[in-house]
Amino acid sequence: MNLFKAELRRIARRRLTLVFGILLLAGVVGLAVILASISTEGPDEAALAEAQAQADEMNEQNPDYLDCVEDESYFEDNEMYGWVETDPEYEGMSHKEACEHAVGGWWAEDFLWTYTFDFADEGPFLIVGVMIVAGLVMMLLGSSAIGAEWSSGGMSNLMVWHPNRMRLWGAKLGAALTACAAGVVVLAALAFGLLVLVASLRGEVGVLNGVWWEDTLELVLRTGVLALGMTLLGASLAMLGRHTAIAGGVIAGYLIIGELIVNMVSMNLSMDFPERLSLYTWVGAWITGRIELVGGYTGFNDMTPDVMVITWSDAGALLGGIVLLFAALATWSFQRRDAA
Amino acid sequence: MPPIIEISGLRKTYRRSFRQPHNALDGLDLEVAAGQVHGFLGPNGSGKTTTLRALLGLIRVDGGTMRIFGQEVPHRLPEVVGRIGAVVESPQFFKHFSGRLTLQLLAESAGVPKERVEAVLEQTGLRDAAKSAVKGYSLGMRQRLAVAQALLKQPELLILDEPANGLDPAGIHHMRELLQWLAHEQGVTVVVSSHLLSEVQQLCDSMTIVSRGRRIVDGSVAEIIAGHSGASLSVRFPDAASLPEAADALVNAKPEVGAVVERDRLVVTGAPEAAWVTRTLADAGIYLSELVTQTKNLESVFLELTGTAPQPGQTVQVGQSVAVPQTAAPIEVPVAVTPDAGPQAGTEAEEAQR
Repeated sequence: MNLFKAELRRIARRRLTLVFGILLLAGVVGLAVILASISTEGPDEAALAEAQAQADEMNEQNPDYLDCVEDESYFEDNEMYGWVETDPEYEGMSHKEACEHAVGGWWAEDFLWTYTFDFADEGPFLIVGVMIVAGLVMMLLGSSAIGAEWSSGGMSNLMVWHPNRMRLWGAKLGAALTACAAGVVVLAALAFGLLVLVASLRGEVGVLNGVWWEDTLELVLRTGVLALGMTLLGASLAMLGRHTAIAGGVIAGYLIIGELIVNMVSMNLSMDFPERLSLYTWVGAWITGRIELVGGYTGFNDMTPDVMVITWSDAGALLGGIVLLFAALATWSFQRRDAA
Repeated sequence: MPPIIEISGLRKTYRRSFRQPHNALDGLDLEVAAGQVHGFLGPNGSGKTTTLRALLGLIRVDGGTMRIFGQEVPHRLPEVVGRIGAVVESPQFFKHFSGRLTLQLLAESAGVPKERVEAVLEQTGLRDAAKSAVKGYSLGMRQRLAVAQALLKQPELLILDEPANGLDPAGIHHMRELLQWLAHEQGVTVVVSSHLLSEVQQLCDSMTIVSRGRRIVDGSVAEIIAGHSGASLSVRFPDAASLPEAADALVNAKPEVGAVVERDRLVVTGAPEAAWVTRTLADAGIYLSELVTQTKNLESVFLELTGTAPQPGQTVQVGQSVAVPQTAAPIEVPVAVTPDAGPQAGTEAEEAQR
């Protein structure tokens, strides 16, 4: 326990932790500020009147529109617009409204730009986005906590103090995962609080009923587990490569070159559902809970395409397997290899 | 009392792809007695650091046995590690942590009382620099910090790899006094690996010299030096004209004695004792003005034993030290010749041994 606490304190006292912490907090606050600045509850009377005046002014300069408004039989007389009489969309519209739609008049809405932030609709995805970014940062921090110890020579020194390597690895991993969990929870809570505040002041909170809470908690919980998995993967790669850059390089390499290769393979192989080769697909399925891949048609006369469904449990098995494989390799490597 | 460290037949081969295997340790034996400062010497690449790393569980060995405090290591190292303080190859620390925080984290991780941090900062002379970040430390200050972390646990066994590395003269002096105090007053066993032979000569009670992964010699520092110094005497006279006559007198008195004139002195070898020379010369009516027992220092003994003495026009390459035959026992240390030819000779010998 002493070792775990010391490792946790070591992570907390690192300058990188401070820098990342400030950046993440600033990011969440910045997101809230941007949303607050662009979200409005709707235009007021004066803004509406001004927009209408601008639309009227523009319409005055459009002779086709003016002709249409002045001539009640404009659509009947003009063959080009004969379809308006029969289009159900125009049913019940006034003649002026029909002219605006068909001939292209300007509306007040064209001169109003309003966006209303709806927390119930958009909040969960923004929180998940914050958690994914936090998870990526925690992955870097976790890999750095291991890699920097190796590259600085501090790991050998620590091993002299704590020769039981499994205990040392367990403490380091536990500390990295605890720091990740704490960071992600704090940021998610902060994002939740700030977004609710923004919605209540400048937008709409929406209906947060039992179904909403259930769906949101599932989403957030799975994203949190993903962040922990990423931290474990980063730390394991750093342990295998004994350098932070190795972990960063492998992950960045996969994200850039790996995905490129996957795309090339999927384009050149006549396989069904080539998207399943990409880890992004599985990550998406894990977070959203279910993803459907649409394939080709099964037969000449069959117009129903093949569909491959990936659920969160399928994705969890694959992603968890990959993370656990690297964790097991890192554990074996730490136990067996000489400290350089 | 059983030895604190016992190593027998230790073997370690480094195997790398596309390279020849390298036998870093080739049946090394080592014993360190309790309460001593023990020097562990050898040329570059002779296996010193590999041995220390193996002892501390940092690397796996291919054969042999190691015991610390009677416990087999690395298997039972976790049980004895609380009694061991070690510095191997100048450990590095997080640059942005202060010296105090570095020590506090280590102390906390092993359940060492916080008070020890301040105590070792004081002991190693880092009290005033404790707040500063390690990145601002000089090499010597980092070395002090490394020694400080080794002392945190109040160890019964202290293993230090090049502890004087980067220290200024005052720092070396302080370190020497500290280690001798720990060994002789506190009963701590200290193992020091170093290339500063004059420092080892002053600091250590006993030593082991290794070459190519095997032990060449071990024993007390004084005895090893004395055992390899021979019994040559340097004799001077008030009148240099007496030199040939004195040489004849000595050789005539005992034919097996060698007497060679070198510039303004006579070098005598094979004499039974210094007193015999003074007596023989006096009997011949020749009176000497100076008689000195010629002793070697540790550096010359080391170079001789390891076969790394530089030759004119040649550079000794790493790994070219003397190879010890597989079956060879360590070199026996002969009983030292005690010079009794007057206070000057005795003082010189003691000086060299110190």
